[in-house]
Amino acid sequence: MKQSRQDDIIQDRMRPGVITRDGLLGSDRRSLRDILEADEAEVRRLGLSHAAIAARLRDLRDAGAQGLGEPVTVFDHFEVRVDSVRGLLPCPFPHEGLCRKEFVDVRNLRSDERVTYTEMNIHMIEAHGFYEGTGSPFRQEPATLARVLEISCA
Amino acid sequence: MIALLIAVGVLCVINTGLVILLLVAETLIVDTGECRITINGEKALTVAGGRSLLATLKDERLFIPSACGGRGSCGLCKVTVLEGAGPLLPTETPWLTPEEQKANVRLACQVKVRRDLQIRIPDELFQVKQYRARVRDLADLTHDIKQVTLELEEPPEIRFKAGQYIQLEVPPYALTDEPVYRAYSVASDPADTRRIELEIRYVPNGICTTYVHKHLKVGDTVTLNGPYGEFGLTDSGAEMLCIAGGSGMAPIKSILHEMARTRSPRRCRYFFGARARRDLFLLEPMRELEKALPDFRFIPALSNPDPADAWEGETGRVTEVVARHVQDASQAEAFLCGSPLMIDACIQVLRDKGMPDSKIFYDKFS
Repeated sequence: MKQSRQDDIIQDRMRPGVITRDGLLGSDRRSLRDILEADEAEVRRLGLSHAAIAARLRDLRDAGAQGLGEPVTVFDHFEVRVDSVRGLLPCPFPHEGLCRKEFVDVRNLRSDERVTYTEMNIHMIEAHGFYEGTGSPFRQEPATLARVLEISCA
Repeated sequence: MIALLIAVGVLCVINTGLVILLLVAETLIVDTGECRITINGEKALTVAGGRSLLATLKDERLFIPSACGGRGSCGLCKVTVLEGAGPLLPTETPWLTPEEQKANVRLACQVKVRRDLQIRIPDELFQVKQYRARVRDLADLTHDIKQVTLELEEPPEIRFKAGQYIQLEVPPYALTDEPVYRAYSVASDPADTRRIELEIRYVPNGICTTYVHKHLKVGDTVTLNGPYGEFGLTDSGAEMLCIAGGSGMAPIKSILHEMARTRSPRRCRYFFGARARRDLFLLEPMRELEKALPDFRFIPALSNPDPADAWEGETGRVTEVVARHVQDASQAEAFLCGSPLMIDACIQVLRDKGMPDSKIFYDKFS
């Protein structure tokens, strides 16, 4: 699909210094539409959906939040630490609402692999199918999320 | 070939003409000359137009709280603009409730000064000043929390209330190309007007915390502005439940200093959450405050003590310890400082113990 004028506006808001210092696109030179379509295809290839991935991220976040900033063991073999700092962030996509500045660090104790994601990641995956651009500090690779967080097809 | 060159030339001329037309139009239509900003119907400033309201007021030494340096990403710099602001921008709407939008509340960093403005700001912001200070001492309180002692140089004194915060300016360095500001609660006694003490926890890659922990040196000059905030001691005389964790110690410590100095007889219990012994700090000053105050107890709680800690104090998350110690909170007041997650969890426990929301005080800076 061709990048629309609205996509351009959203992509501008993802650049460094607009919403976050480093932006949400990293070194990715693709258009927002291409990034979204590539990740959409990847998620389909994995037999998953954005909703299923976001639900797993949120379940782990909610369980980890009980630790009030300290690591807690969740679902037997995940060590989850949720940290929050002051402030809120608006989503680059046009709608009301703000995301808390929360960081979720999950370590799979069986494989010793870890992923770190934000509240904003959960929202953007769930609502917009956006995993950030390649090289962005919080880029989430769908295949990595699926493997480390053990997300399988419904 | 010649036709192609002529076509390119014509296009260049048209483009140049359009650019000139736009520049002329901007000069004639957009008023970026002198503008008048009337504040609270009283004070009037004559300023050069063209910049954001936030930056313009800062030049006039009127500091509106802002944690993002004017990028529209913190939502702190709210002011009421009664006239002259133009339509609400899409960059502002996420930060403003429908009630605020109706009341003409705007983000000062997004409003451009292009014509005369009528604005309203809280009176206490007139007390906010910019200070130059020198770093007198840097001390490691824990492996990730530093105590920063600043001696004020110009102006040489600051008046603040226990519980208030200041904004520290981080100059451009490896992690930022432009100055940024971050809010930190003051930890010292308000009676000590010539210096302020901050407690700053290191956040990996955090612009300000990296600057403070890895770059700042004793003797350096820093810029700050403040004081800000309404969090602080009440005069109700009710029992106080203070709950904090990590660098959330700072405003509670300032409040306790104030209470000790004024010989407050209020019953006060201070629950401080940490993971292990190495995350606890300022135990000795807290014991001194226990002696100085007639009814104060400091209750540190470790959620995951190391066996080597040989810890005999309270264990568990701070919320669990509060729940064990407090049976009925309906007549007490709570003062909270910590991460938003911790504050939310504490609020829930206090509600369960009968405390009304109106008696729960905190500053999440959000």
